[in-house]
Amino acid sequence: MKGESMRNDEREITLGEYLAARGVSRRAFLKFACSLASLMALPPSAGIAMAEALAKAKRPSVLWFPFQECTGCTESITRSHEPTIESMIFDMISLDYHETLMAAAGHQSEAAREQAMKDHYGKYLLLIDGSVATGLDGAYSCIGGQTNLSWLTEAAKGAAAIIAIGSCASYGGIPKANPNPTGARAVSDIVKDKPIVNIPGCPPIPAVLTGVLAHFLTFGSLPELDPLGRPKAFYGETIHDRCYRRPFYDQGRFAKTFDDEGARNGWCLYELGCKGPVTYNACATIKWNAGTSFPIQSGHGCLGCSEPDFWDKGSFYRPLSVAHWGNKATLGGAAAVGVALGAAAALAARRRQDKIVKGD
Amino acid sequence: MDLLIFARGPGMYWAVTIFVIGVLWKLAGVILLRAKRDLSEARKPSAWTGLRAILTRSWPRRAFVHGTAFSEVLGYAFHVGFLFTLVFYLPHVLFFEDMFKGLLGVNFQRLFGVSWPYFSGGMVSFFGAVAVAALIALLVHRIVNPVKRLISNFDDYFSWLVTIAPLVTGMLAYGHVGAPYQTLIAVHLLSVELLLVWFPFGKLMHTFTVFMSRGTQGMQFERKGATL
Amino acid sequence: MSAAQAERYDKQGDIPDAERVKRAMQNFVRDFGRSAAIYMESCVHCGNCAEACHFYATTNDPKYTPIWKIEPFKQAYKREYGPFAWFYRALNLKSAVTVERLEEWQELIYDSCTVCGRCSLICPMGIDIASLVSLARHGMAKAGLVPHELWAVAERGEKEGSPLGATPKVFKDRLEWLADDYEVEIPLDKTRADVLCTMSSIEIMKYPESIVATAKIMKHVGADWTFRLDGYEATNFGLLSGDADWQRDMSMKLIDAAIACGAKTLVLPECGHAYGALRWMGANIYGKPLPFRVVHIAEFMAEHVKSGKLKLKKVGKSVTFHDPCQIARRGGAIEAPREVLRALGVELREMEPTKGLNWCCGGGGGVVTIHRADALRHRVFQLKMNQIDETGAELPVTSCSNCRQTFDDGQAHFKWDKTMNSLLEMVANNLEGEAA
Repeated sequence: MKGESMRNDEREITLGEYLAARGVSRRAFLKFACSLASLMALPPSAGIAMAEALAKAKRPSVLWFPFQECTGCTESITRSHEPTIESMIFDMISLDYHETLMAAAGHQSEAAREQAMKDHYGKYLLLIDGSVATGLDGAYSCIGGQTNLSWLTEAAKGAAAIIAIGSCASYGGIPKANPNPTGARAVSDIVKDKPIVNIPGCPPIPAVLTGVLAHFLTFGSLPELDPLGRPKAFYGETIHDRCYRRPFYDQGRFAKTFDDEGARNGWCLYELGCKGPVTYNACATIKWNAGTSFPIQSGHGCLGCSEPDFWDKGSFYRPLSVAHWGNKATLGGAAAVGVALGAAAALAARRRQDKIVKGD
Repeated sequence: MDLLIFARGPGMYWAVTIFVIGVLWKLAGVILLRAKRDLSEARKPSAWTGLRAILTRSWPRRAFVHGTAFSEVLGYAFHVGFLFTLVFYLPHVLFFEDMFKGLLGVNFQRLFGVSWPYFSGGMVSFFGAVAVAALIALLVHRIVNPVKRLISNFDDYFSWLVTIAPLVTGMLAYGHVGAPYQTLIAVHLLSVELLLVWFPFGKLMHTFTVFMSRGTQGMQFERKGATL
Repeated sequence: MSAAQAERYDKQGDIPDAERVKRAMQNFVRDFGRSAAIYMESCVHCGNCAEACHFYATTNDPKYTPIWKIEPFKQAYKREYGPFAWFYRALNLKSAVTVERLEEWQELIYDSCTVCGRCSLICPMGIDIASLVSLARHGMAKAGLVPHELWAVAERGEKEGSPLGATPKVFKDRLEWLADDYEVEIPLDKTRADVLCTMSSIEIMKYPESIVATAKIMKHVGADWTFRLDGYEATNFGLLSGDADWQRDMSMKLIDAAIACGAKTLVLPECGHAYGALRWMGANIYGKPLPFRVVHIAEFMAEHVKSGKLKLKKVGKSVTFHDPCQIARRGGAIEAPREVLRALGVELREMEPTKGLNWCCGGGGGVVTIHRADALRHRVFQLKMNQIDETGAELPVTSCSNCRQTFDDGQAHFKWDKTMNSLLEMVANNLEGEAA
């Protein structure tokens, strides 16, 4: 089912026809479009406009390149217990090339890619997940004998826009963690002359990609982005600001271990290392698995996975306020240095005093 | 946020290191100066009771209250407010407990049987606001009062600044006011680091010297039976 | 005080300015150590000390803030001897002291400080500001920057043995005519005595009845006592002017005299700074514990009241006691005069504040010798008059002749209706079994 390739010269069906063929009623589709619009804080009229535009939308050419990744982003976005409209949309759009999902492989898939790039030059959307390895001239991550790096630079030239899915593509992610052996970089580190949307998260929330694509298909442009290139509609607030456990934070009620009374009462997880206050994402509102839950609700602190270098910012279980003060050895050394300098100063003062008394 | 990474990382590390070096340098440099033994016959058998001055000098004698009450009360309002926010706010408590564990190798709660208390953000904000209000009042007094104005120097004003900054930036961060939280927290941490770095070099050292000077006067005067 | 007087910066000696500054710094540092450093590091510029100082209280002039009086020396400490001195010098964070600054400060260090020590008590940091002023005077004295009259009497004290001309010869003559006139035995230069008595030049020259009083009391209690010409002058203008060498010379005379006659007790007269100089500083100057006790005459009398040897008639008057700063607050002999007053059966009415917190008379620390400071001292004196008037007591009494002299001068200036009395003389005039 997934990834059934459709060649460009066949009659192009619209998204509306595609979904209708799969049993999605107009009403359900309208509801979907309106909820998507409201997720993006667009006015109600935009929901209807979005539904109309999406229904008429011709399948845009989309190339999905997985680079140095774990496939978690793809899994998140496409996996579901029951097919969601989102996954269906992805089914529809991500057909020209999806390395992991497409049925074809080998030379055939590469030929499809090159064809799509040529046919839709300047108009295709490039979706990247995974970081770009740059070490050893990119040799750390190759597909079909060609480095991800060269794929990216080549494909970027004809792209209308690039969507970096997941923290790896957005910031370099886990491969970039100290000491970054593969020279992993974000997409935006490599491509400087195309619009790039970062959709970070490890993995990101599926609705975010849907929302960005819907916006693009409806308005022909990318939604408003924050300084880190993330859609403000989804990354405009911190987990902390929307967390349902926030009242406990304010009241000073914190869980001290994962199974103490505080934990059982659902108190704030700050002391257990939650990075919610410094993490921008929509987990606390949209949640995961069709709104089932999110890490904090399940009793584990936020890892901050939608922020750059989250893996290198210290332990997930070390509270945010515990800054790096050093350790016993360094403070001991500092104390010794301080006392030594003080003793030297006192000695100098004593010597001056003696000199004076003698000289008088 | 690069600023936050710096502030929580090398910024704090070096600030604490400089603080430790500087404080001990200052204290050792003074304590190791020549101490002269007093050979006169003491009136009191033991001068150690003079150390009570460390406590008793915490409030002026009745004859002096009238002229000093304003400064004393505001001073306490500041100190109590400041210490409350520093010591009874969970994010701070976690920092100190981590330091405690790192230096002594044992958990605070394990050692003392009770965990370090902390209070709600609202309570802490209240005390923080009291401290800030007191500091502002004290600054105004320093500028307006002719005695204080005459004897004040850079150290007085700069120490005031590095003391009020963590309070204000802390409350702004707590309230998420004026900038993204990461920025606010980074600025708060940097203000704390500035305080730590300045600490050994200015009058903030009175944190330690208060015990030394009150204790010295206490013992010197006690052995004479002089009024303390 | 005329403008010309206000602008007067007294100097001694013809020394280049740079040399003056050098000597000031050297001698400031010479005698200081850890406690002075701790004190100077601890000031937080709270300004509370001003509230305790009678000079500030009566003028509201912020320059009289006690810690401000030693500002050039506090800065010099930080710049030259503190733990971060190198930084201060390398980055010129505090400028080096100049002679102009020291001249400007002369008035603050001498004219407007009696070293009374109230500031030391009010300081929340526990800084003994008064002792720092004395230390600063060490620097000023060797730099030749002492107010002239004070320096002159100090030099006289060093060279002639008395600041007021009570040389050994004059003292001897006085003893002879007093013994004669009052028919009282006054031993002099005994080779061996249990008690060595001393006098202040103020008493010798202005209140000679004190000598008679001392003799009467010694006889009454049956003491084996003497005066000695090689050590009788209890005042120490070396201490007051800040010349540490003269201070040593003056103290050593008394110490050597006591040792020479094998005295077990050295009795200091009604003088304030004499008590601090010998009772508390003497041993440190001597370099080892003194081989004799040092007591103030009030303490001597109190001891003998307790032992029953000093029997007193009852004086049915109301009395208020002015506590001399160096004996009570700084010296610790607070109850002794009161024990004597209780034995005298007076109605004791305490001033407000009293004992260790009492206000200074304004004349101590050498201030009474500095004439350009007279107007300032008179303003301060009003505090004392108010205090005493408010008690409603008939007789003000004290146990320091410099305080007494200051009160006499104030009384004349303000035409006050009260005369200060000497505790010593009151006791001598009311000895049981003897005519006054």
